[in-house]
Amino acid sequence: MPIHQPGKVLLHHIPLKFVNDRVAGGGRKSVDLSIPLVPFIDFLIVLVVFLLMSFSASGELVAQQPSITMPDAANTQALEIAPIIAIDTRVVMLDGMRVADYSTLAQTANLDRIEQLVQNLETLKRNWTMLHPAQPFDGSLIIQADKEVDFRVIKKIMFSSAQAGYTNVSFAVNGTGGSGGGGGEGEGGGE
Amino acid sequence: MANIDTGGGHGSKKSVDQEIPLVPFIDLLLCCVMFLLVTAVWNQLARLNANQQQPGQPQAQDTPPPETTKLILQVQTSGYTLASTEGDRIPIPKNGDAYDQEELINKLQERRNLDQNRHDIIVAPEDGVRYEDIIHAMDIAVGEGFQNLTLSDGASML
Repeated sequence: MPIHQPGKVLLHHIPLKFVNDRVAGGGRKSVDLSIPLVPFIDFLIVLVVFLLMSFSASGELVAQQPSITMPDAANTQALEIAPIIAIDTRVVMLDGMRVADYSTLAQTANLDRIEQLVQNLETLKRNWTMLHPAQPFDGSLIIQADKEVDFRVIKKIMFSSAQAGYTNVSFAVNGTGGSGGGGGEGEGGGE
Repeated sequence: MANIDTGGGHGSKKSVDQEIPLVPFIDLLLCCVMFLLVTAVWNQLARLNANQQQPGQPQAQDTPPPETTKLILQVQTSGYTLASTEGDRIPIPKNGDAYDQEELINKLQERRNLDQNRHDIIVAPEDGVRYEDIIHAMDIAVGEGFQNLTLSDGASML
């Protein structure tokens, strides 16, 4: 597919030879160019194949948050749809809504119930039961925590989620191989 | 435009030369690339599954389960301890500042060899243990065949 140099447009009406030579670029190298189509198509096909290999039909079930560095694990399973509790070193959030402060939870070793978290989870459970009346509630929950988080905080969150009926807890990790890394599909508990 | 010339088509025969419409083909490829780039998921997120054994967990069954020996992996700030309800305890202290994961793998493999049908284990971290160390312990346990993993409070297991 060649790109042609446009014809003479400017100054072509001036009847002087040196002007015509200068305008026409006489004696100079041609500026016509052609795009090498075969390597271009090869490149596009390789790109499409690579992107198809890494394509995930279920999309991103858990968004990577900048304040959370998740640990790595190899023997993992695919993610499924469930409410997500995100814990970083400042705040605890349920599906993006703040439910507690990390520093408050990390202060004491007592197994305290996080009232806001329990209430929100019970609301989610009621919503799920209304939306799926024929299915049994499996109590799936995903905890997405920073790797520096203390188990003391995790323990309180698990206790509170168990109080709300969410006992099937999964921990979001960065998959480093294994059987089910990447976004999987599933019908879990949740929203 | 690209074409395929078979060299035939002489005489009264119909020409079998074919021309590939390159411009629509490139358009299609570019559309595919755009769509796949927009929908691409670059991070490989996954999950480690665990049941939880907590005081708040509702008891679904009326009759108590039969008493069996439970295998407990305690994750402490000083290292791992592989114990069971029979009373045996195998401490695996830290190797410097890091947990001795190789030794844990060896001990779990020994346990697996003793009872091939056992797939349950209770991981019991104590307060102060980092989440990353718990995940590594759980990952090793699942990797050694203990898929039925329960997470519990280490303090209640002592």
